Amino acid sequence: MPKKQFGVIGLGTFGSNVAKELEKKGMQVLAIDIDMDIVNKMSQYVTQALAADAVDEKAMKDAGIADCDTVIVSIGESVETSILATLIVKELGVKNIIVKCVSQWHSRVAAKIGADKVIYPEFEMAKKLVENIVSTNILSQIELSKDYDLIELIAPKIFWGSTIKDSGIRSNYGVNVIALRRRVPTVDDNGNADIKEEVNMVPCADDEIMQNDVLVVIGSREALSKIKKV
Amino acid sequence: MKDDGKIQKNDKTEHMELGKFYFLNNKCDEAISEFKKVIEIDAGSAEAYYNIGLTKETCGDFCGAKEMYSKALSLDQNYKSAREKLNKLIGLEDE
Repeated sequence: MPKKQFGVIGLGTFGSNVAKELEKKGMQVLAIDIDMDIVNKMSQYVTQALAADAVDEKAMKDAGIADCDTVIVSIGESVETSILATLIVKELGVKNIIVKCVSQWHSRVAAKIGADKVIYPEFEMAKKLVENIVSTNILSQIELSKDYDLIELIAPKIFWGSTIKDSGIRSNYGVNVIALRRRVPTVDDNGNADIKEEVNMVPCADDEIMQNDVLVVIGSREALSKIKKV
Repeated sequence: MKDDGKIQKNDKTEHMELGKFYFLNNKCDEAISEFKKVIEIDAGSAEAYYNIGLTKETCGDFCGAKEMYSKALSLDQNYKSAREKLNKLIGLEDE
């Protein structure tokens, strides 16, 4: 199976990290930025790094951007440049275009001209950070859809020693435990203490919730907000 | 004087071992109490601070764990396990 080809236009902090991570996953990555110094630095991390103007249609065509399966436009400094680059990539026939946006207006325009997905990393991170600060027992939260989330929750004290069934998580709170992460204390033969993590990916109703557990829970935002307060 | 030193060393080892026993058995308060006794005998024991950090992390007290790993590192800058655990809790990538 041929490797998927990705294009990353704009190699700021976000774009360069996307490019590096894609390459780490074994993908072919074409990384483009107008700044030659940045391109030189990136060339050691990606399949091909090119200095080109993202709003120059011929330069983008010559760079081979049309051959990419997915292109990520991560130009944050100028909304106008981001929009023009998106339009050019679209017209060159790229099937999947992801655009990093800095505002709602930016995302609306990007979507109108054919972006397949718009993302706001800073807005999303801000939301996650606030969630973590406000609810100290929440380790992470992933948005699954408009109304549903998946959260990692430190097992509340009232559940310690109960089975999943007896805890009433499902019946009282209307959420499902889809995995259990357990921090298991260990001491090796040399007497060194450590923590090993065990993950139960298929928890049963009779599995006991222990003090050191992290519950991976899925449910509606409304239901999850109740369990966060326990 | 020499004997006192020997007794103290034995006490320190005993408290450390007892602390680890409680740690293994998820008895956080008892484990921390034993590791603190080690620190009373030897204030420079990076391992005791590290073990308190591990115990606190196991029990979900991540702020307390970070504080203890930092303390262990201040006593021993080359304490690799403490560095790794602290970096993980802070969210830093492994170096």
